[in-house]
Amino acid sequence: MKKTCLAAVALFLLGAGLTQCTKSKEIGEPGNLVPQTAELNLSMPSIEVNGTRLHTETFGNPADPIIIFLHGGPGADYRNGLNVKQLADNNYYVVFYDQRGSGLSKRHPKDSYGIQLMFDDLSWVIQHYRSSPLQKVFLFGHSWGAMLATGYINKYPAAINGVVLAEPGGFVWEEIKDYGEKSRRFKLFDETTNDALYADQFLSGNENDHAIIDYKIGLLSPFTYAKNNEEGIEGYSPFWRNGAAVNKKLFEIGKNEGFNFKNNLAQFTPKVLFLYSENNRAYGEAKARQMSAAFTNVQINKISSTGHEMIYFAWNKVYPLVLTYLNSLR
Amino acid sequence: MKKILLAAVITCTIKHTAHAQAVNWASLQKSQRHTISVNTAIDYGATFGVGYAYQLKTTLPILLNAEYSFPGGKNLPDDFKTKIGGQIRLVAVSNFVLTAKMQGVFRRYQNPLARMLNFGSDMSATAGYYRQKWFAAAEAGFDKAIITKFKNSPLAKQNFPGIKDGWYQPATGGNFYYGIQAGYSLRLIDIFLKAGSVIEQDFKTKPLLPFYGQLGANIRLKGKTKKSKYKKL
Repeated sequence: MKKTCLAAVALFLLGAGLTQCTKSKEIGEPGNLVPQTAELNLSMPSIEVNGTRLHTETFGNPADPIIIFLHGGPGADYRNGLNVKQLADNNYYVVFYDQRGSGLSKRHPKDSYGIQLMFDDLSWVIQHYRSSPLQKVFLFGHSWGAMLATGYINKYPAAINGVVLAEPGGFVWEEIKDYGEKSRRFKLFDETTNDALYADQFLSGNENDHAIIDYKIGLLSPFTYAKNNEEGIEGYSPFWRNGAAVNKKLFEIGKNEGFNFKNNLAQFTPKVLFLYSENNRAYGEAKARQMSAAFTNVQINKISSTGHEMIYFAWNKVYPLVLTYLNSLR
Repeated sequence: MKKILLAAVITCTIKHTAHAQAVNWASLQKSQRHTISVNTAIDYGATFGVGYAYQLKTTLPILLNAEYSFPGGKNLPDDFKTKIGGQIRLVAVSNFVLTAKMQGVFRRYQNPLARMLNFGSDMSATAGYYRQKWFAAAEAGFDKAIITKFKNSPLAKQNFPGIKDGWYQPATGGNFYYGIQAGYSLRLIDIFLKAGSVIEQDFKTKPLLPFYGQLGANIRLKGKTKKSKYKKL
């Protein structure tokens, strides 16, 4: 018996030793498990503004009214929002950018991120692409992006000519917390829940090991579209790379310091288009009405037979509403 | 809004979260060569585990052990953890005992995006008060993921065609854990409970489940339940 145990230990150590002899890759090197960001891959379309490099793309005539798409997360990217570029065919200049620390944009130390910095970046993006002071600017935000858009018009109500909001989680911390609790149902012995939790013993990185923590947060994405998920998400939608540090920092700010994105919305007079999805059980008409009550002039529309990722999975239903709304303001 | 709230909500929803089986060194008899154990735990998920320990014929008590555990879910074989190693009673003064454990770890993880195979190590020390019928102790340890093989799924390659499979190092992960354990011993069975905290090797970052917990039983075979034949505790 003793010999058997010793043999098992020896076999294990041999296995470990053999793996050491194989040619291994560097875990923290961008380009191995996650794509490089714009500051490392200069062939990528990007702009340098406000001390950072943002991954960007534009579609349409630069002289047309601008629509700036704001992706979710925080920390996600605009890849699953690219359907919005169809609006370029309707004479809009559609601008996409991955927010600071998100997607394929430059990574910064975790503690450098802040809400005002995200507002400032948006101001710089507008300034970069706006060719004339008369050129109208519209924001189109999804999820966290809709929160960012609302926070921006709350702070700068005269700067924007109209906004489309698709299921913002909340305009104050309490609303976010409530949405988080409703949208995530954890079943202790469920495969998807354990898939989300079990990876922590394989992979860890400090708060600025961006390549590692970005890969790791990406592993959580199947949890969001698990069968019978509360948000009604139909399935996988593509992404380039998640920004774990900005995600965590902004979440900490919300939790520890709070925020209020609606205390000045009365100053924003243009009509707002507020979209919610039929299949998102954590949202629903009640929350849509409660959230949209913060605006003085708002049009609420339900997007049927889809969930939180309505822009990716139900663009054919979102598109006519958005186009009609924008045309009414141009 | 998708992954953002995930970490926080998991932490708030699941209150407890474990590790290798605990041993009552005071009730362990030299003649009890074989111990089998079963447990359920919160150990980076809700898990079930079995173990076996063989006691060497040595002056100081030494247990060689092997453990296997797996998290719950629909696909049971896709995630698991095995440990092989040993545990030694280093010091015994009166009823106070200090032990050390060192194990090699092999574990597997799979979700729709990736499969990971990892070789690692788990080292811990336990100090406590042990009586024939019960014990209470504190433990601290370090679980290191030394080298990991990544195999990314077609879905992950659809996201990032340049993603590279293969063995990755340096150490791909490492978590410290510390906690308490207590147990009650019947004639041939120890019932034990463990609970504690987990923190990543940077001493700042917490895993999604920053706790561990374990409820288990050790069943000692081929033994008499008289006094310990080791140094009396």
